[in-house]
Amino acid sequence: MHDPANGVDGESRDVCIENGRIVADLPKGAPTLDARGMVVMPGGVDIHSHFASSSCNHARRLIPDEHAADPAPAPRLGDDEPLARSGTGGSVPSTFTTGYRYAGLGYTTAFDAAVAPLMARHSHSELDDTPCVDGGIFVLMGNDEYLLRQIESGELDRARDYAAWLLRATGGYAVKIVNPGGVEAWKTGQRNVSTIDDRVSGRAVTPRAILETLADATNALRLPHPVHIHCNNLGVAGNSATTLASMEAVAGRRAHFTHLQFHCYGGGGGQPWSSAASTVIDYVNAHAEVSVDVGQVMFGAATTITADAPVEYLLHKSSGRRWTNIDIELETGCGIVPLTYKDKAAVSALQWAVGLELFLLSQDPWRVVLSTDHPNGGSFLSYPALIQLLMDRSVRDEQLKRVNPKLLAGSALADGLAREYTLNEIAIITRAGPARLLGLQAKGHLGVGADADVTIYSRDPNLATMFSTPRYVLKDGALIVEEGQLRRAPAGRRLRVAPGYDDAVLPDLRRHFERYSTVAFDNYPVAGLPGEPVGTG
Amino acid sequence: MSPSSTVAPVTCLGCGCGCDDLVVEVSGGRIVNVSPPCPVARAWFGDGRVPTAIRRSGKDATLEAAIADAAEVLSGAAGRALVVLAPDVSVQAQRTALALADLLRATVETVTSVPAAAGLLAAQRRGRTAATLGEVRNRADALLFWGVDPGGRYPRYWSRYGPEPAGTHVPDGRTGRTVFAVSIGRDRGPPGADVELALSPDEEIPALSVMRAVALGNSLGPLAPPLQEAADIALRLTKARYAVVIHEAEPGAEEARDGYRAEGLLGLAEALNGPTRAALSSLRAGGNRSGAEAALTWQTGYPMGVTFQPGYPQYAAARRGISVAAGAAAAILVVGAVGALGDADSLAAAAGRVPVVVVGPRASEAVFPVRVAVDTGLAGIHEGGTAYRMDEVPLPLRPPLAADRTAVDVCAALLAAIRARNAGGRT
Repeated sequence: MHDPANGVDGESRDVCIENGRIVADLPKGAPTLDARGMVVMPGGVDIHSHFASSSCNHARRLIPDEHAADPAPAPRLGDDEPLARSGTGGSVPSTFTTGYRYAGLGYTTAFDAAVAPLMARHSHSELDDTPCVDGGIFVLMGNDEYLLRQIESGELDRARDYAAWLLRATGGYAVKIVNPGGVEAWKTGQRNVSTIDDRVSGRAVTPRAILETLADATNALRLPHPVHIHCNNLGVAGNSATTLASMEAVAGRRAHFTHLQFHCYGGGGGQPWSSAASTVIDYVNAHAEVSVDVGQVMFGAATTITADAPVEYLLHKSSGRRWTNIDIELETGCGIVPLTYKDKAAVSALQWAVGLELFLLSQDPWRVVLSTDHPNGGSFLSYPALIQLLMDRSVRDEQLKRVNPKLLAGSALADGLAREYTLNEIAIITRAGPARLLGLQAKGHLGVGADADVTIYSRDPNLATMFSTPRYVLKDGALIVEEGQLRRAPAGRRLRVAPGYDDAVLPDLRRHFERYSTVAFDNYPVAGLPGEPVGTG
Repeated sequence: MSPSSTVAPVTCLGCGCGCDDLVVEVSGGRIVNVSPPCPVARAWFGDGRVPTAIRRSGKDATLEAAIADAAEVLSGAAGRALVVLAPDVSVQAQRTALALADLLRATVETVTSVPAAAGLLAAQRRGRTAATLGEVRNRADALLFWGVDPGGRYPRYWSRYGPEPAGTHVPDGRTGRTVFAVSIGRDRGPPGADVELALSPDEEIPALSVMRAVALGNSLGPLAPPLQEAADIALRLTKARYAVVIHEAEPGAEEARDGYRAEGLLGLAEALNGPTRAALSSLRAGGNRSGAEAALTWQTGYPMGVTFQPGYPQYAAARRGISVAAGAAAAILVVGAVGALGDADSLAAAAGRVPVVVVGPRASEAVFPVRVAVDTGLAGIHEGGTAYRMDEVPLPLRPPLAADRTAVDVCAALLAAIRARNAGGRT
């Protein structure tokens, strides 16, 4: 068993399960599952994915070719199970297929990391149709018109109360910032911001102020997960300076920086792209209040989906690939470009290397956790191949020989990084670490009181094979994968928060809605969500 | 429901605008007033009365008997069934209908119009640039109405979204915006525009090509009218802060050039994003047809033209259409308002050959023989849940009247009955 949250590293242990929870012991005669010789971990926790949102649905609509190439017949489930549903795959699978494939990978919890508040109702409908995983949504606030107005006018308490109200209204779990101010700028002649001190569309508000306000708000609200930040200048040569400036702007506050790989490039200003991973990870290593997920790029087909709409326009212009843009009123944007990361393409190779460097130079796996920013850097189905790259230097070095070396001069990976992740470290970056960063006290571990989400792998010398085909997966104590086959598909729980706020915000907010919104204030909140909110504080 | 009450804010599904600010007055179980006044809303809500019958082969039946019979005929047609997502039901009912289709390995048809389908296919080829309607309201300082006057089918588009209302970036409302009206033959633009242009149907596609070229910054040299006027409009759009091109995605008066028009409009809106910001606003009819496409997409990956016959969703967009599918079906399930189907003749023809089951508003009033008809309420009038606006924004439904039974519950019961039959090995 690898249960790093409880200090268990490769020991043979019993896991006792009753009523969906881990318990200390069971009466004699209780049914058993013999997992001797296998590898036992808590269920996987995906801290940052895009799988249940209106943006994902726009992306699905854009890639019928991928769906046609990856049909997904309904699994054979028991008669007492919910109806088994067919679907399609590709980089953005249909909802039921997404749930089944997460379960087949041993993942039992996942968060959609970018949901426009206006479209939260849609996300919850998709989550209703995504079985097997407990799920939640991160709510986009970094370009929100009402929030920007509060920052402009110095009404920071009202900004905090608004953030709390918005989380409640949308059934959200965490506050998400995407390209603070940049998406609003995209909708105006400014088109984007380039530093955290740029004024947004000529207004008295900057990305720095947005970062500070929402970092303070999430901490004041004692949310289980700190503010989840997608920095300015994603994918731009030389953006590591912006990334470090953003980290320094919220220094001393808990903050999570997402898909860091896309924000760790040197060069720019006439200089070629390069890796700045070591510089940025040095900062992360030295600041315990900072956490990150990597956003690894894996070679192959991907679909880029982001609220960072100006980035997608640039990607469309540079790649010539088809492009969808949806501006979402008063709140955010949405851009989509399908693309392929090729190992012979210099920038793709650099991105691949930067991600691996972040992993391999990290000194604290609890704060540097695994993601591919599914499906932006690659599908979540590529996690096993990524784990293999982290655990097996020989596989990594073989792949390194095949990639375009043009932009890798001076990179730590090209210079040779000997580190190989252990099974315990993999358990941290895929389970225990994300759960801890998300404040999910019953997830990511196998101690007494935890949700009985358990993944059991048969040992295999090929680590990618081992991690892609768990032999057993238990969800809330139910055996949902048996001998590698999905047998049950229970509905997942909804993970959301309900922070308190001062009602004094409501009259002003109602006036704002009545003046500018096309949805009535009383119709805006999503009602009737399943389950109870996760506690805050 | 009290004898007399006022319910607000209520969402209207009369057209795709999805106005959710209506005040509905109810008295004696009937709707007696809807405000603000809108002819489409008035017609949509009516007095709120709907039939509540359950019929089996034309005779009154219990719900249990109707469900059992429907389950039998649909199970017998597994692999050759057609499920039609008709208008006027919630997305929750549509989701359940799709589960039925999956279970039956059925073909699924929606009421996606030919022009709307052309737009979906064109967007799959090249992408699209769009916006929610609030961006039209708050940001657009240039509105190009392309062969459509929204005043007819979408009466409140003008006052709720554009050009009339004040917005965050257009505080002066109509006076802060420039309205361009392009008429294409009999498909007229709106009156009261700042700039008007009339094109013949044959001139439409060349005009779109010229306008896209202008937006891309190409030098065209002198053009003959009316292409020069079209180029002039495009040039003015490039100088706007935020331009919106509004077009009709439902059938118009002129013979359709849907594929070319869709490509041309998407290309123009995309190209305008070079010199400025721009979006395409597609006008869609109501009844939650956008919800059907959304649910189909998240459950199957495709927005229309889906068949589950192979055991998984397969895209058959080029062969879609109720008339095509009905001709090959061994049984048909309609979920929604059968009277709102534009292609009822195809169903009527099929009804003489194969059993038809209808679950939805006014099912018992179908104008052709129906094996099983179960009346339900209308989404947003008698049933809650969610419906989608033309811009794919989901809205809650706040029904002012109570329902005898809901479409989602009847579909769920039918699903359970078919599963029970399958488990019992009776198919």
